[in-house]
Amino acid sequence: MKVYRVLEQKFFEFLAETLSEYSVFAPFLKGNYTEYGEISPEKIKDINFGGNTPITPLKAFFFPIKENVVATKKPQQRIILGVPNCDLAALTLLDNIYLGGEFEDNCYKENRSNTLIIGKDCDEMKPSCHCTSYSLKPYSEKNCDVSMSFWEGIFYLTPISEKGQVFLDKYKISRNESFDTLPDEVTRKRAELVEELTKQNKDVPDEIASRKGIEKENPELWKKHASTCVSCGACSLICPTCHCFLLIDRKDFEKVKNWDACQLPGFAKVAAGEDPLARLYDRVKYRYLCKFSYKPDMFNALACTGCGRCIDTCLGKINKNEVISEACR
Amino acid sequence: MHDKNIYKPIRSKIINIIEESPTIKTFVLVPEEEFSFKTGQFIEVTVENVGEAPFTPSSSPLETKQLEVTIMRAGYVTDQMHKMEPGQYMGIRGPYGRGYPVEEYYDKEVLILGGGCGFAPIRSLLYSLKAISDKLRKVTLCYGSKTQEECIYKPYIKELRETPKFEVFRSVDKADESWEEKVGVVTVLLDDIKVDIPNSVAVVCGPPIMMKFGTKKLLEMGYPEDKIYLSMEKNMSCGLGKCGHCAMGNYFVCKDGPVFTYNEIKDTPHIWM
Repeated sequence: MKVYRVLEQKFFEFLAETLSEYSVFAPFLKGNYTEYGEISPEKIKDINFGGNTPITPLKAFFFPIKENVVATKKPQQRIILGVPNCDLAALTLLDNIYLGGEFEDNCYKENRSNTLIIGKDCDEMKPSCHCTSYSLKPYSEKNCDVSMSFWEGIFYLTPISEKGQVFLDKYKISRNESFDTLPDEVTRKRAELVEELTKQNKDVPDEIASRKGIEKENPELWKKHASTCVSCGACSLICPTCHCFLLIDRKDFEKVKNWDACQLPGFAKVAAGEDPLARLYDRVKYRYLCKFSYKPDMFNALACTGCGRCIDTCLGKINKNEVISEACR
Repeated sequence: MHDKNIYKPIRSKIINIIEESPTIKTFVLVPEEEFSFKTGQFIEVTVENVGEAPFTPSSSPLETKQLEVTIMRAGYVTDQMHKMEPGQYMGIRGPYGRGYPVEEYYDKEVLILGGGCGFAPIRSLLYSLKAISDKLRKVTLCYGSKTQEECIYKPYIKELRETPKFEVFRSVDKADESWEEKVGVVTVLLDDIKVDIPNSVAVVCGPPIMMKFGTKKLLEMGYPEDKIYLSMEKNMSCGLGKCGHCAMGNYFVCKDGPVFTYNEIKDTPHIWM
């Protein structure tokens, strides 16, 4: 492993330099939440390198809310900077779905290959953050091109992929002072956050226990927790792993891929009227089964990365971790 | 791996439309690019600017210049399809999924249970079976529809009845005096037929309620669970195993089906919806 030590000022100059070739997106503080925005030379100083998980999941860059999947597009080279590991982990499942099997999703593939991802170390956690419950860490080690840690005015950049190394070489980042390991203070900060997350989520069942609990026949539990669900679909739309979409037809046989969600009524309804997910509590349960049973079996990846967005966003105040804890009892 | 855009349909000209019943039409399509399918596989059919829906072609897979799609008017997209005329264009994508494994039917009797518009995939299967009839013992078709008017493929039924090794039984839920065949739901036909069950496979395709009771009856008759082939229907969008709409437990019907044996899906929730 090589770690490049870059002073803040130099790092900002480097970012400014990339703008001639790339559209660069980074997290910014907007009110009391974090959200990705496109950077310009003036905005570099405002990037929020700390802070919470951005509201919009990373998937939106590769699987946009709406995308014309038939029309020819101008390729756009992009950098996404400061991605938390819960969003990076979701790429394992998304890649297996969109790029695996008999048909490779050409749009997703193009969006992925045009993008360089720089992951970040999380330095604070929300009350809903629980990546460590599913054996994930709040810092990036894979599914990105470069991993970035920040400590007292210094950025530590670690190339993860070959593409990341080539990129760092090209922008002469690799001419900075380099080390074989991250400095102790960064490693210590990482360990402290892991400990805090573990403590915060000591009662959250892991993926194996969760699956067992969810698979139990327990209609009363699902009815109870579904009672406040308003079928808004926000939990699915905001989820970094939810991949469902609906194709909408346009003229010239063009098609627009739109985010869709199993929690919305009618998602599974057929033309003659039958609907396997007609009942609200069946839809709610289906979402949990999909994440902890079906996706691991079908695509060899858990469909929850513990980002906590579904908990933060739920209008009915349904807390996924409380539902699963109860299911496991 | 396919390099082309997986979402882009092939423009296909409607050269003929056959009215099969008051609610069912068969569209004869000529694709502008080479296109072939295996029997039981499905295609996505697009009406430009309107929508797209999955259908299993009802024509023979051996016919490669044109294909036929039999469509029941049941919703928004199929309503628009029924308003189309010869000379207009539909779009097609595919073929998708796992069709009927006809080579597993060699040296066997094939019992086919069909209902309503479920005859469409079955007709394609029957064409395929006819082409290999020297390798089969017998093919028995039991077909049910709600009324006499809704019995589709009338000329084809006549042709099939004159085909050696093929036999046809039909029922309608309600009939007038002119109906000379059975009255009742399609499963009543199974009481009259002779099948050598240990040397037989069964194929079921129709509306969910018919599939449910058809399968139940076949199991009671002694068909093993892995010898009952079901063509499953689910809401679909992409057809490619990406969009999630056709999820059925651990399967996506579009890529793992649409044809399943009963033992593959019997423990899956909501199979009959």
